[in-house]
Amino acid sequence: MSMWRKKCTTPEYPGKMETEKYVYTPGLHGLEFFKTLKEKDAIVATKCGETLYIPPTTLCPDFSKGEVVEVPLTNPWYIASYTIVYEDMDGNKLDKPQILALLVPEEDIVGGIIHYVKAEPEEIDVGLMVKAKLKPREKREGKITDIEYFELVA
Amino acid sequence: MKPNIHVKDKVAIVGAGLTLFRRRMLETSRELAWEAAREALESANLELKDIDCIVIGSAPDAFDGVHLKGEYLADGSGAISKPMVRVYVGGGTGVMVPIAAWWHVASGLCRTVLAVAEEKMSPAHPHPQGVFAYIWDPVVERPLGPNLLWIFALEMRRYMHVCGASKEDIAIVSVKNKANALNHPCAQAAAKITVEDVLNSEVLVWPVHRLDVSPVSDGAAALILAREDIARKVTDTPIWVEGIGWTLDTTHWYNRELAYPRYVEYAARMAYKMAGIERPWKEIDIAEPYDPFDYKELHHIEGLMLAPRCQAWRLAREGYFDRTGELPTSPSGGLLGVGNPIAAAGVMKVAEIFWQLRYEAGERQVKKPVHYGVAQAWGDLMQVGTVVVLSN
Amino acid sequence: MARRIYDKEHVKAPGTPLSSKEMYQLPGTIEYTPVAKYRFTTGQALSKFLEELKRGRIAGRKCNNCGRVYVPPRMYCEFCYKPTSEWIYLEGTGTVVTAVVSYIGTARERLEKPEIIGIVKLDIDNKEPQGYDFPGLFHRFCNVSEDDVKTGKIIGARVRPRWKLEEERKGDITDIECFEPIEG
Repeated sequence: MSMWRKKCTTPEYPGKMETEKYVYTPGLHGLEFFKTLKEKDAIVATKCGETLYIPPTTLCPDFSKGEVVEVPLTNPWYIASYTIVYEDMDGNKLDKPQILALLVPEEDIVGGIIHYVKAEPEEIDVGLMVKAKLKPREKREGKITDIEYFELVA
Repeated sequence: MKPNIHVKDKVAIVGAGLTLFRRRMLETSRELAWEAAREALESANLELKDIDCIVIGSAPDAFDGVHLKGEYLADGSGAISKPMVRVYVGGGTGVMVPIAAWWHVASGLCRTVLAVAEEKMSPAHPHPQGVFAYIWDPVVERPLGPNLLWIFALEMRRYMHVCGASKEDIAIVSVKNKANALNHPCAQAAAKITVEDVLNSEVLVWPVHRLDVSPVSDGAAALILAREDIARKVTDTPIWVEGIGWTLDTTHWYNRELAYPRYVEYAARMAYKMAGIERPWKEIDIAEPYDPFDYKELHHIEGLMLAPRCQAWRLAREGYFDRTGELPTSPSGGLLGVGNPIAAAGVMKVAEIFWQLRYEAGERQVKKPVHYGVAQAWGDLMQVGTVVVLSN
Repeated sequence: MARRIYDKEHVKAPGTPLSSKEMYQLPGTIEYTPVAKYRFTTGQALSKFLEELKRGRIAGRKCNNCGRVYVPPRMYCEFCYKPTSEWIYLEGTGTVVTAVVSYIGTARERLEKPEIIGIVKLDIDNKEPQGYDFPGLFHRFCNVSEDDVKTGKIIGARVRPRWKLEEERKGDITDIECFEPIEG
């Protein structure tokens, strides 16, 4: 490789993706999810038979259109799984470890929400109850960050 | 002529479905795929549980802005826990989808295939054009700052020069296709326009004006393919896949004669041979040649051997390719009229031949009786031809 | 089974169109800017090609099996599927195969001054090669008017490369500023 570099004046050529940005639409039930989050202290799930899907999938496994059902964020949710993050994307050590968790409102659902949990690493465990800390209504934008984080229920 | 190939099972198309084709849609890519797939299943009176295998087609990931697009589209395409494959040959993908679905069934591997094509071009900003920059060679082409329209314009200019066609002669195709699309329930760019309107529209890269070009679109399309015994059970009017063909040429597009698409001819010859068609210009009743630009339809009519070289534009002027003509082409309205969500547009063309051969195209139904139809797509760096021949 | 007519009167196709304004304001719409930078290796054939551009000549590869000459050069013959045999050097004179006038740039923005772009079929031994495939380059043209393109006067015209000054060349396709018609 080094030999080749010496032999050739231009072994490599730079390139940059010209796309300025991507704009992603939320989709059918996705729109309901963010509307509900913005306007109420709740989200929605897609209901297929007795099963709830979060985030809402719009379509059911049998290809029918699912029903939109509201799931409150005011009740306690549970930690289904979690990870503790010590470094950022570039490998720099974080000042304070961050906890990312898969959060579910009840047992019989498929999926859940991935979000931050405000807790100390030694406090965290699967099965603990948590509650959503929401931004004040007037500051919500219809984004997942309208939930600031989840916190442990004492 | 006898077909040249042994197939285990004869294959038919038994259902087709489309979403609207529009510049921007609320639905996510997977929801678009699902809407089209559901339409196709309903049209065949089938349910997802009746489907054995899934084929997905979608053009560059960079449009939707989602990598592993095949996997991303899997649930919306009904592929959960089923054998699934995504095929991709640029703009040729749309017709590659039923080709791949055909070999799944013809080989005896699957009894039924749901074939879904989806494209969502609206996410890429400021314009999907920018994303196309990455199809060129990074060393000898991209430093010149090419726009996708350049290569089409260069090819169109060459065709005009070699074949003696004028801008007016070529604009006739845009007028025809946009008018044909007036009766299409999914159409994005249907319009009653004149040749003058085309010539007076904004010049982008001369000789290409805005109305010479199909729009960018979001949309999805789906087909159901089935083995003969199942096809006969679910419908009285299965549409048989008689022949398939596809070939590629080199990406070095400026190292070859652009006036004639050799690779389309080779793909067509492969499909015709399989279908036992010896004189396509006489035996084919109806065609959906790929028309992202108006001249491309003429170019492809010649590549498909439906007209002698350099004669397609003369025949177009005489109304030969009109819906009431001897060999109607793009009766759907094509990409110019219905829209161009890349892979989905190719499937839309196959779906149109399907409806026409079943006499189900309603207001778009061509006047003449139809027995054999051909649909074709084209793509990458002016190098791919994909062809299917259908019969009723 | 009843016939299912697929036209405007009988079918309402699914899908929810949005206006551009609606799309940006929808709850849940998100924007993301990709940061993707690449380094492409130029490979054996193109490295040499770029080096030769610096010297003011065009390098091609010849396949002695079928006689084809490749510009841009390839280390393998696409048709024989064997390694190409030798380097050959071209002056860059050639014939215009096709040319267009671009009023827009890469991202479809309007250009202030239109550009003329085309394909040049390059001479081998001062002769125009024949056949479906040929050595050639895709490049800008100068000293060509929009009218020359639209009337077709430029097609078939003889052209040669206009090189940048030697000290300005950096081993890039733009070391050739453009192709221009050979007078007389």
